[in-house]
Amino acid sequence: MQLIFKIAWRNILRHKGKSLIIGLILFLGSLLMTVGNGVISGMDHGLEQNVVNGFLGDVVIISEKQKTDNILLDFTGTLIEPITNYPQIKKLLQAERFVSRFLPAGKNMSLALSDDYNATPGFAYLLGVDFAEYQAMFPDSLKALEGRLFKPGERGILVPKKARDEFYNFTNRWLIPEGCSLVEANLSKDAKENLKTIIKADNIVLLGMNENNSSTDLRFGIKGVIAYRTLNTIFGHFSITDIESYRECLGYFSSSAHAIQVAKEDQKLLDLDTTNLDSLFGTESLMVSNPQAKPTPAPAAIAAAKAPADVDIEAGVYNMIFVKLKKGTSYNYAVSQLNKIFTANQAKVRAVTWKKASGFIGSMTTIIKGSLLAFVSLLFLVAIIIIVNTLTMAALERTPELGMMRAIGAQKQFVRLMFLSETAILSLVFGGAGFLLGAIIVNLIPMLNITSANDMVQLLYGGDIFHPLLKWTDIVVTLLELSLVTLIAAIYPIRVAGGIKPLDAIARD
Amino acid sequence: MKKTAKNIIEISGLTKDYPLGNTTVNALRGIDLNVQEGAFTSIIGPSGSGKTTLLNIIGCIDTATRGSVKVAGHEITGLNDKQITDLRLHTIGFIFQTFNLIPVLDVLENIEFPLLLMKKHSGAEIRQRAEKLADLVGLGEHVKHRPAELSGGQRQRVAIARALVTSPSLVLADEPTANLDSVTGGQILEVMRQMNRLEKTTFIFSTHDANVLKYAIGVTKLKDGVITAN
Ligand SMILES: Nc1ncnc2c1ncn2[C@@H]1O[C@H](COP(=O)(O)OP(=O)(O)OP(=O)(O)O)[C@@H](O)[C@H]1O
Ligand SMILES: [Mg+2]
Repeated sequence: MQLIFKIAWRNILRHKGKSLIIGLILFLGSLLMTVGNGVISGMDHGLEQNVVNGFLGDVVIISEKQKTDNILLDFTGTLIEPITNYPQIKKLLQAERFVSRFLPAGKNMSLALSDDYNATPGFAYLLGVDFAEYQAMFPDSLKALEGRLFKPGERGILVPKKARDEFYNFTNRWLIPEGCSLVEANLSKDAKENLKTIIKADNIVLLGMNENNSSTDLRFGIKGVIAYRTLNTIFGHFSITDIESYRECLGYFSSSAHAIQVAKEDQKLLDLDTTNLDSLFGTESLMVSNPQAKPTPAPAAIAAAKAPADVDIEAGVYNMIFVKLKKGTSYNYAVSQLNKIFTANQAKVRAVTWKKASGFIGSMTTIIKGSLLAFVSLLFLVAIIIIVNTLTMAALERTPELGMMRAIGAQKQFVRLMFLSETAILSLVFGGAGFLLGAIIVNLIPMLNITSANDMVQLLYGGDIFHPLLKWTDIVVTLLELSLVTLIAAIYPIRVAGGIKPLDAIARD
Repeated sequence: MKKTAKNIIEISGLTKDYPLGNTTVNALRGIDLNVQEGAFTSIIGPSGSGKTTLLNIIGCIDTATRGSVKVAGHEITGLNDKQITDLRLHTIGFIFQTFNLIPVLDVLENIEFPLLLMKKHSGAEIRQRAEKLADLVGLGEHVKHRPAELSGGQRQRVAIARALVTSPSLVLADEPTANLDSVTGGQILEVMRQMNRLEKTTFIFSTHDANVLKYAIGVTKLKDGVITAN
């Protein structure tokens, strides 16, 4: 064996050019695979951390009527079904030992109306929560850029910067928190260009989107313009409001007004009472009629301006419940366990993992990983072809030498092993070097503490810090792929070399 | 013909046909030949007479079409590739016309090669034996050179040392001096003869060269695939 390695190694050195070409391909392939996997794993891990800790929790509970699991970012406009039995679910969750904490929330779309007749209504994605509970569930997930966050029990809305920029593009209104003045540095590019003519607004009228059009348009006072700590590309769509206002806007009926979910028929009747009845029809009538006067607030909003403390808010309607699991609980276990309980108790909801709940965002890394694997595989395929070609030529060139070895007593196996060793040494040395360099790069990058405020870059980082990750599974896959390449590439040349006969030692013309 | 010594080679009725297009070339047509242990014998004959073919079959690197070939007591026609390779390794040494050394190994390593394949001796034993043979063939000064750094004569000396390192019972050399000038060729034959005497190894070599012939002790004449004189 030592002899085989010695000869193989010296042959590699002897044919430096060939060895270098093969080696370089193997080096690049394994470097690319290691770094690529590292970046993607980091992205995956970052996304998980940031989505789980910043927005959705580990598991999301949605109505069993909900058609798709994807409830984070579904731009098709599919509404999220209401959950009307939160108290029951709350009890079930409290009884589960693997549940760490949970937060019920309303989450749906609304139309953002404007007093500008020429403007098209924009969309606002609403997240209705008890803000104190929200902050306890997702600590430090957001900060106020302008204005402030909610005071306890306060009603109103917190608009993310991204949503404000979009709202401006639709409605030509620049939102500023109540009592605040315009901060030029925070203006969007479009807004900056129109600085002189900019129209400011410290409130926003939203019309909840609801299957049976039982929603109301409701004026929300802007308390703050916020930025999520990270991934504003995703989270920045969602304005946060108190759950009471959310329910009114969506026509779910505030618990403080009614304490219970009103039957559908009654709901419709009640809808007729709303002052902005005409707002349900046609685009034009969606505009609040008088730009000067503030639009008439919905009666419910007035009634709920100060919610009585003793009313059971939790008895009202939600759309989802975010659940955080105790450390070490697997998503799949938690989901199947919860679903078992929900079915047994006819809770009419189902649990889904954060990955499924975040739809494209969740599967993005899998897709990218698949593409990387396909790309590297393609590279390796080219490598295999080149290696096969080079080694076969080498075998043929060395026919007299190999034939002589056979003639003076080397077994077929010896010649075969010699060729396998040459390929194996090449992939070990060069592939190994590529892997090592990749591993060093992947481990070094987090130390550089590269951060980005750019939304798209953040998406690639999976958060605000670029933190590639070397996972064991990736290492194993890389090394397996490398060995596989070696083996496949060596098969044919080995057959050729093994087929060389002792008689070939004698060059006959 | 004395019958005192044992025969290392016993050939009877050996024919070799090469298919060539639609016809067949009868390279050997019924050879009967015995070679005694310790012989230093030459096979001569005009080009195409079958010298190489005969040596290849004796050396177990080619197969007979018909007939029986016994090398060191083994009937070689019935052996599989692995057994035949072992037989070559342990009982036969080869010296090729074109030297055929392993280019990436130095002189000493080339000489050691068959011993390493045998896996019978310790590293130190192998080294010792190889050094001794390098000395015997007059390459003691050049053991660290690679084949490319040697002259033709020196390369053939390496080949002789390599052929003898395993102490084979038989060394075959097909025109070992054809690629050398006559002076060097003579020296190579001297070395071979010396080895024959020292190690009691049987040598069979083929040649065209009348000069070379004078070193031979026995001569077998071939013509058109048959033995014309022995
Ligand atoms: N592989 C082969 N295929 C077809 N015919 C062959 C083959 N090898 C040898 N022959 C033929 O067999 C005959 C004997 O060839 P061989 O090489 O044994 O002669 P030789 O005596 O060694 O000649 P030379 O002195 O030129 O080396 C020749 O006619 C040759 O053409
Ligand atoms: Mg010949």
